[in-house]
Amino acid sequence: MSLLRSGVLVAATLALSLNLLSQQTLTTAEQPQAASPAQSQNAAASPANDLTQAQSEEKTAKTETSQDQNKDSTDSKQRKTHIGLGAVTVGAGYSHFSGPPYPYGYGPYGYYPYDGLYSGMLWSPIWGPYYDPAYFSRGYGRGEVRLSADPKTAAVYVDGGYAGTADKLKNIWLDPGAYDLSVTADGREPFKERIYVLSGKSVKIAAKLSESKDKPQP
Amino acid sequence: MKRKFWTALLLAGTACFAGPGPKGTAPKSAASFYSTHAEQQGTAIGATLVSPQQAQKLFTSPVNRCCTVIEVAVFPSKDRPQDVSLNDFVLRVEGTETALKPSSAQVTAASLRKKASSDRDVRLSPTVGVGYNTGGYDPVSGRRGGVDEGVGVAVSDGGPGPKPGSTEKDRSAMETELSEKGLPEGTVTAPVAGYIYFPVSNKKGTTKVLEYTLNGKKMVLTLR
Repeated sequence: MSLLRSGVLVAATLALSLNLLSQQTLTTAEQPQAASPAQSQNAAASPANDLTQAQSEEKTAKTETSQDQNKDSTDSKQRKTHIGLGAVTVGAGYSHFSGPPYPYGYGPYGYYPYDGLYSGMLWSPIWGPYYDPAYFSRGYGRGEVRLSADPKTAAVYVDGGYAGTADKLKNIWLDPGAYDLSVTADGREPFKERIYVLSGKSVKIAAKLSESKDKPQP
Repeated sequence: MKRKFWTALLLAGTACFAGPGPKGTAPKSAASFYSTHAEQQGTAIGATLVSPQQAQKLFTSPVNRCCTVIEVAVFPSKDRPQDVSLNDFVLRVEGTETALKPSSAQVTAASLRKKASSDRDVRLSPTVGVGYNTGGYDPVSGRRGGVDEGVGVAVSDGGPGPKPGSTEKDRSAMETELSEKGLPEGTVTAPVAGYIYFPVSNKKGTTKVLEYTLNGKKMVLTLR
């Protein structure tokens, strides 16, 4: 029996897109002054005078640096930040999932490595081995055992551990595997059966306990 | 109290080291109680073809999906132990030339393991959408005008998800079931019975012949 899981997701989203409009009005960048024709001529006329040329280049570099600083200060004064409302969007969504259950070991939040280590059987020094009733609840990757017993108050044991009374264990969910199921009641013959559980499958067990031949002595 | 504790500990220890469960099925009182039977050198064999419907009831594992299941019982002679082996059985399907050997529980369980359908399949879902949008900001001209509005509606059915596959635990459980219900192998002195699995689909109306080789001599059982 395949499990049917459905989930409905309705989402309404109001999104305000804020556009950060940084309009940068750039001033027309002043072009560095070209070297004067006289300087060019001078440079062309006396190429051997390296010292003079180096000094003049140093001066030109200093002039460009000061010009850049002036340009930056002008930009910061003229730059304005505008915040504009771009769009208002209202959305609604509907999602329906009718897929299968997660395979064994995988829950909705990923792989759970300790699933296989948890046997579910507890131990009481008085009652012996027993199961937490919640252990037989429905879960991912589990198989179902549909149990009907007569009498309904009969005690149910799984692999020797007390599971509860038959009337409260009509649907037992177990991990895939082989189990020894036994149903006992006072004055009745015990019912024992080897059951095999597969994920997503259902097994019907009808345990009708006949009257015990050995009558209890008074 | 101490006595109880040690008794419980002993029981738990015994349970831990206990072997696998009982093998095979309970043999009927005689080979003649099976659908077909034969006898040779004091050893009798009975066999019954299990229909797919019966297999569905008898097994939790979907064994009828891959195999033909036959219940076989071996009744050895009283004074001589009999060696039972799956290799001594051969199944012939009428109209075909092939002779099949039984599959072990391990192989059968592996072949029954169902693969999950791939998540990579492209699935189309019907979707309806309505949209409206006017105005806006033109970055080229710098003009701002109109009104920005947006309305959207979308409905989509996700459709069926990928089918789940069998897990390793499922395979192990199937192997356990098929092994425990299978015909016990080895030297036997008392009647034994169990199922054997042949890797061929059990089609209705086809006659099958089960051959059993006993000390080099064949015993033929016709199954319908």
